[in-house]
Amino acid sequence: MTPAELVPAVSPDLSIWGLFLQAHWVVKSVMLGLLACSIWVWAIAIDKTILYARTKRAMDRFENSFWSGQSLEELYRSLSSRPTHSMAALFVAAMREWKRSFEGQARSFAGLQMRIEKVMDVTIAREIERLERRLLVLATVGSAGPFVGLFGTVWGIMNSFQSIAASKNTSLAVVAPGIAEALFATAIGLVAAIPATIFYNKFVAEVNRQAARLEGFADEFAAILSRQIDERG
Amino acid sequence: MRKGLAISAVLHAIVLLWGMLTFNVSPFETATAESVPVDFISEQDFSKLTAGTRDAPKPETPKPLVEKVAEKKPAPEPAEKITEKKEIVTASTAEPPPPAEDKKPEKADKKPEPKVDPIAEALKKEEKKEKPEPKKAETTPLPPRKRPPTPQPKFDPAKVAALLDKRTPQRTAATGEEINRAPSLGAPSGNAPQLSQSELDALRARLMQLWNPPVGIINAGEMIIRIRVLVGRDGRLTAPPTVLTSGRGTMFESARDSAIRAVFRAQPFDMLRQETYETWRDMEITFDPRDMFRG
Repeated sequence: MTPAELVPAVSPDLSIWGLFLQAHWVVKSVMLGLLACSIWVWAIAIDKTILYARTKRAMDRFENSFWSGQSLEELYRSLSSRPTHSMAALFVAAMREWKRSFEGQARSFAGLQMRIEKVMDVTIAREIERLERRLLVLATVGSAGPFVGLFGTVWGIMNSFQSIAASKNTSLAVVAPGIAEALFATAIGLVAAIPATIFYNKFVAEVNRQAARLEGFADEFAAILSRQIDERG
Repeated sequence: MRKGLAISAVLHAIVLLWGMLTFNVSPFETATAESVPVDFISEQDFSKLTAGTRDAPKPETPKPLVEKVAEKKPAPEPAEKITEKKEIVTASTAEPPPPAEDKKPEKADKKPEPKVDPIAEALKKEEKKEKPEPKKAETTPLPPRKRPPTPQPKFDPAKVAALLDKRTPQRTAATGEEINRAPSLGAPSGNAPQLSQSELDALRARLMQLWNPPVGIINAGEMIIRIRVLVGRDGRLTAPPTVLTSGRGTMFESARDSAIRAVFRAQPFDMLRQETYETWRDMEITFDPRDMFRG
């Protein structure tokens, strides 16, 4: 065998696009899937960041107006006209229940306290569900991404070993491109998984904080309404 | 959600584009290694290797001591014609040997005649003589030998003086092609500078073959046995081998005895050339059990 034969005729394209094109279709699909995961993860992350910032701002604004001494009736009237979220939704739900109990024909004080709390619990659950939506995607990508990438790598390396066995040439120049393209799959998997894990942890903490704030407000508001009920009843 | 997805997709596109443009593979810059010159040397050359520097001037070939110019002995040519064996001319054959050229055809004719070989005949006679001998021995038992009275040597100063050689010791001059009074270092009876590797290997192989160290040696490193061996020109021991290493334990003793036995059984050391006698007259042989397993 002459040295000229040892060197592959065309030096392999080692750019990102070249690596992708040379890969086996299984590895290709793994790479594409992971790329899609990465795009989705970042989309969720951007969306959630905006949502949490907006929710936090809304809560601050609502708390400001709630404790400003404004009458609850007025506040309710201004808020109930349009769909609301988070703390405002909580307040609107509780006030609606309150109003129904007072303005109806049959005044039913017994169990009003319980009903209001129930309504607020449901609203909190709905709000948290809204905040938590799609966070599971992040968790899944974060935990499964490296494995998927690894699967692509193993498949690629398996393939390149098979072709090594077929070509009966073990020179590193022949072996290396296949392994490089296979490792590219793991790289993409890690690129998708690392931000997903970080964002997931961050967002779970954020959701817990906002849920605690909602619970706190619900308890406080329930206490206020309970005093009103006792005073009127 | 759509806004986030759009932003994310755009970000990924940007990153990928940037990666494609900038992610280029730079081959390793390998410093071109200096080519290493390799010399092929024969086994004999290797055994003659001496420490030195690479750029030292090439030493002259070892020159033997030559005091007298003599004709160069031609090397026996292997392709030389084989000459016919000359007929042995004894005193009894009065005829002078006829010239070979003329008589050649006649010789071919004569061939069927049995050639009288005086030596063969003498041998036959000897055999004939020998055969009846045992019979004789049976019939006539040897008379009891009487020791002749050995004459006691008398001290004679004159004889002692005659025994003394008063001449200055002489020796034959070393001859060679050209006179060389500055010979290279070597033994007076030496012919080659040192034992060749093949000889040493042959000796080592023989000894290793004959040596059976005890099975299950624990500390093989402590079982190294060095033996001093004095060998005569005939390749046989001139003195019992002496063990130079000391140790304790039955293991060591059995290994040592085995090594001594191996030296005895390896006699004669006919793998050693007579020319290098000076180098193997007095040898120290090391028996290392680890060598047994190294192959």
